[in-house]
Amino acid sequence: MLTMVIDDSRAMRLILKRIVAQLGFEVVEASNGKEAMDYLTSTLEGGTEAPGLALVDWNMPEMNGLEFVTAVRAEPRLRSMTLMMVTTESEQSQIVRALAAGAHEYVIKPFTPDAIIDKLALLGLLPNGVAA
Amino acid sequence: MTLTAQEFAFISGLVRRDAAIVLETGKEYLVEARLLPLARQLGVATVSEFVNRAQHRPEPETHRRIVDALTTNETSFFRDGEPFSQLVSTVLPDMLTRRAANRNIKIWSAACSSGQEPYTLAMVLQDAMPPGWSFDIVGTDISQEMLGRAEAGQYSQLEINRGLPATLLVRHFERNGANWRVSPALRKSVTFKRLNLAAPFPSLGPFDIVFIRNVLIYFDVQTKRSVLQRVASTLRPDGWLFLGSAETTIGIDDRFERVVTGRTSAYRLRSAPKTAPVSALGKG
Amino acid sequence: MTANPTEDDLRVIAEQVWSSYLDTDGASPLLPFPAQQRRDDVSASVSVTGAWRGHVVVSCSDTASRNAAAALLGIEHDDVTDDDVTDALGELANIIGGNVKSLLPEPCALSLPHVLMEKTAGRYPSVTEVCSLNGTWLDESVTVSVLESTADFAGVSAP
Repeated sequence: MLTMVIDDSRAMRLILKRIVAQLGFEVVEASNGKEAMDYLTSTLEGGTEAPGLALVDWNMPEMNGLEFVTAVRAEPRLRSMTLMMVTTESEQSQIVRALAAGAHEYVIKPFTPDAIIDKLALLGLLPNGVAA
Repeated sequence: MTLTAQEFAFISGLVRRDAAIVLETGKEYLVEARLLPLARQLGVATVSEFVNRAQHRPEPETHRRIVDALTTNETSFFRDGEPFSQLVSTVLPDMLTRRAANRNIKIWSAACSSGQEPYTLAMVLQDAMPPGWSFDIVGTDISQEMLGRAEAGQYSQLEINRGLPATLLVRHFERNGANWRVSPALRKSVTFKRLNLAAPFPSLGPFDIVFIRNVLIYFDVQTKRSVLQRVASTLRPDGWLFLGSAETTIGIDDRFERVVTGRTSAYRLRSAPKTAPVSALGKG
Repeated sequence: MTANPTEDDLRVIAEQVWSSYLDTDGASPLLPFPAQQRRDDVSASVSVTGAWRGHVVVSCSDTASRNAAAALLGIEHDDVTDDDVTDALGELANIIGGNVKSLLPEPCALSLPHVLMEKTAGRYPSVTEVCSLNGTWLDESVTVSVLESTADFAGVSAP
């Protein structure tokens, strides 16, 4: 499954990429919400495969993660895309805001690879044969 | 690795005697890892030295803490996922029909360690049970320390990051400094008791559902049989039993039959009255 | 009224960060006592603004910064570049800062991380140190500090 990793930190993109690549997912990176949205728009217009999953940071320049989630959920053609926020924002009110905006899941940094994998299992996104 | 063969033998003897847990050779790394924090806490630099002292200056409290450290189960919310989905899609609809008279379900989460499993069950039931129904969950463990943690219902950020759906996190937990604590409502729905599965245990139940996951694997066959027998006696005739994903009653106790549900299995007593109307199953 | 973060809070946060990214097998934790020599050759900080104002700073020796980059980015120690150190330390400051922020009065915002590859003494005027964790990782100095701004809006330092 094509996965987007959206974070302004190259280090964090590398960490997340390593985790999902091990599951056999292909990864596309973006360093902020706007870059990610531009990419999604081009897949929709070009008729190429849109990602099934996006791991999204919150605090990013140009377009932050919350804005990105809101924009994706407003686009009917991206209905089937799963949005998981991966962020340092850990106040209860922030998590509520993210879920209200349409994020499907939420992981707080720091996280272990198992934390991401467990959440993917919950969402039914693990490829067959991979144990939760 | 500092532990000598003799020291390891002492520890495995102690744990076997007090908790019927079997530690074969090959498990030295486990003893080393689990006892190191305890040794450090008590001001001793190596596990070997610590065990040596425990052996030659025996103190019940130290022995108890050693047994606790070695019997602690790793646990997490919604561990393995599938059993809880099957609880909702297969077991609860079955129970809703069978218990329509008193509209109550009792569940036992055995060897619950720091409590994530009973709290998971509470969250699942709160969502799945229709209005007018009540449920009681009992969590038991051999370790007083783990029970204390379970009763406090407070978990670290790393612990709530694992396996717990975000929607349930915000609904059932509140932040408390750097930790997350179960809401008072959730906390009320679970009772915790100390219980050693390997020793005769006080009468519990009767239960409609028993979760005893990933603890039987540590016992020898004889203890497994004895534990399952006593668990069977706490289970209602039409009740359900859930074991760990790598465990089975087959070859140990043929009073149970396996019911394959989705990608996992649960167990019922062979004598279970099959009186629930077929149309009631699989709904919801 | 939320109390200020404490060294214990920093210890808990650091432990979680280390076990998640820098010490995944538990063999090389951040030990909560000062190294032989406290070094701040490299420092990464995030600023906090809003209901609370100040900075969260992670500083360490040059060797520790390379160890961190190697561990975080999954590369060999010898292949670590200055950019790698900047990225890795910056993200560590971001994660630790974010966790400290959640202990502060709401609402607050975190800045992007700033990384300096030079000694940082005196870099933060008009601050008081709220708490700090002086630790040792792989025999090298690593320090986490929480600094609260004391200047008021007019820029005049509080007495």
